[in-house]
Amino acid sequence: MSSVLDVVLSSAFLAAVLRVATPYLLAAFGGLVAERAGISNIALEGQMLAAACTGALVAGYSHSVALGALGGIAVATLLGLLLAALRLELGADAIIAGIGLNLLASGATAYAVFTLLDDKGGTSGLKSGTLPSVPLPGIDGIPVLGDVLSDQNMVTWLAFLTAPFVAWLFYRTRFGFHLRAVGEMPEAAASVGIPVRRVQYAGLALSGALAGLAGVFLSMGYVSFFVRDMTAGRGFIALAAVFLGGLRPWGVFLAALGFGAAEALAVQLGTLDVPPQLVSTIPYAMTLVALALYAWRRGRRGTGEPAPASL
Amino acid sequence: MTSTLVETEDRREYRATRRRGLAVDLSMTLATILAALVIGFLVILATGKDPVRAYEALLTGPLERSFRVGRWLEDATTLTLLGLSVAIPFRARQISLGAESQLYAGALAAAAVAIFLPLPPVLAVVVPLVAAATAGAGMGFVPGSMKARLGANEIVATLMLNAVVVRVYDYLVNGPLKQPGSSAVHSERIRPDSALTPLTDWFGIPLGRANIGLGLMLLTAVALWLLITRTPLGYRIRMTGSNADFAEYGGIRVPRAIEWSFVIGGAVAGLAGAHLVQGVYGRLEPGLAGSLAFEGIVVALLARNNPLVVVVAGLFYSYLRAGGDIMEQQTDVGTEIVVVIQAVIVLLVTAQALPDLLKRRIARKQVAQKQVGAR
Repeated sequence: MSSVLDVVLSSAFLAAVLRVATPYLLAAFGGLVAERAGISNIALEGQMLAAACTGALVAGYSHSVALGALGGIAVATLLGLLLAALRLELGADAIIAGIGLNLLASGATAYAVFTLLDDKGGTSGLKSGTLPSVPLPGIDGIPVLGDVLSDQNMVTWLAFLTAPFVAWLFYRTRFGFHLRAVGEMPEAAASVGIPVRRVQYAGLALSGALAGLAGVFLSMGYVSFFVRDMTAGRGFIALAAVFLGGLRPWGVFLAALGFGAAEALAVQLGTLDVPPQLVSTIPYAMTLVALALYAWRRGRRGTGEPAPASL
Repeated sequence: MTSTLVETEDRREYRATRRRGLAVDLSMTLATILAALVIGFLVILATGKDPVRAYEALLTGPLERSFRVGRWLEDATTLTLLGLSVAIPFRARQISLGAESQLYAGALAAAAVAIFLPLPPVLAVVVPLVAAATAGAGMGFVPGSMKARLGANEIVATLMLNAVVVRVYDYLVNGPLKQPGSSAVHSERIRPDSALTPLTDWFGIPLGRANIGLGLMLLTAVALWLLITRTPLGYRIRMTGSNADFAEYGGIRVPRAIEWSFVIGGAVAGLAGAHLVQGVYGRLEPGLAGSLAFEGIVVALLARNNPLVVVVAGLFYSYLRAGGDIMEQQTDVGTEIVVVIQAVIVLLVTAQALPDLLKRRIARKQVAQKQVGAR
């Protein structure tokens, strides 16, 4: 047991948590924005995947990491807009359309990589590089804090800044008020002159962009290449964090951070004598229980709070 | 006298409308498939490959050799069972994404019985199947009752359950159930008595790993069709799906209907797991089902959740999967294009407005004609 504690309290572990939590945080905030706009974005997974692939390919061919990252985010944003269009213009069910987009991303990325590089696995043959890490001049000298915070990837910093950004966006800006109003009751929002469709398109574009940044981090932060289906269900876990966090920015932040910590722990414990697969079930089992409790409490309270779009 | 005349007239009218509806549905399905194939063709063309040669391999390849037919039928069995398993909750308008957890639970249950429990001949096949269906039903019950009784989001619940069960499965195959002394990761083989008889034994031509699970799948589809169209429970599930408030008002216990739809779907997905263990692999393998669970959703959607049509959609879709592999072997076009085609199908199917627009236009034309005729 003491060895587990040693692992958990080590600065390397805490640094790993920040790193592992990065894609969960970004994707979860992407999911939150869409959910609050009244369109469930189950395509987070596909958006991440498409962004990861585009990022690595563009960076590899253009020899510019920045261009790759922008390309990845742009593709994910377009997928967000496409989901909104399918929902709003063609009356598609957002969940089913999202499943379709996930499939599209999975097939198209694998097809593109195979066609361009003649490689089934991924883009490891292509030199695409990673986004820069940020050393913190003042802090990197401090013993523990320095080891944890310094030299984190710039996307990790962006991910942690996303929480206050989304909180500010939701509760302090005109757009945020409109977004929440549209998500809760579009008819009422329309009746007071809010451009419902435009707000929803903007929300889904932002949602896609955040998922895209998460995807870019996978192929240009964690590692410097794209691997087929490398998102490995992170988009779905992020979606769970959205609900577990009660659809509030700081709740979602804690939930996503928790998933990141649990995954980092599972990886670390793999080196000890604990089956890593069993450790890694803990956050999902906890989410199931939390989901049940959340629903039960809401049920007992009656119609206290308007149910979000897909609950 | 006149009233019966009016009634027969009404019935005829009603039947005609239904036939027209079915024709429209079927032609929409065909049009969707055709459109998706055309888009796939254009994508191959755009990537500088030869689409004609690729499509030739894709569309004729699976039938060229008997073992390829076997490969197709084997895949179709699993895929159709998975399609059926989600079609039932979809009928109650529940988006269950839990087929994965149900399949793995079913595979574990079937393998546990078929490896460790010696049974007399016929029971040796049947008991693992029943165990698998029960385990799958249990995995359906959890998110089903969470949704029905607590109102918990079924999408998140089923996804979380998938994540848990797949990891536990992974642990068991890598740990307690791993064949001792083997360097590769898989369980021991099941007892020969528990294997689903290969079709090769029956027909005398090599059909690979295709087995009598195919017949089981067909029986399941017919049974589910009867359940949905001819039984009170099926009626309750359909009513819940088409308008839950109205169903509640009409005295249907909606939570019960929802719960049952999950349990029945889970049992069928459990059977898909048993088919993989008892018919295809003969043991537990890591990543047994690949991405099949999600592809079952496509099959159900394409078939508009009609169990009999699911069989057709399952056969069609697994044909494309088998053809995709052959296309990749024979040409330089990757099998992933099949996933792209599949995605296009889903997106076209979900774009409700397109067929509705068409239907409305047809209906308007008919009304116009009738008015002219009445005059």
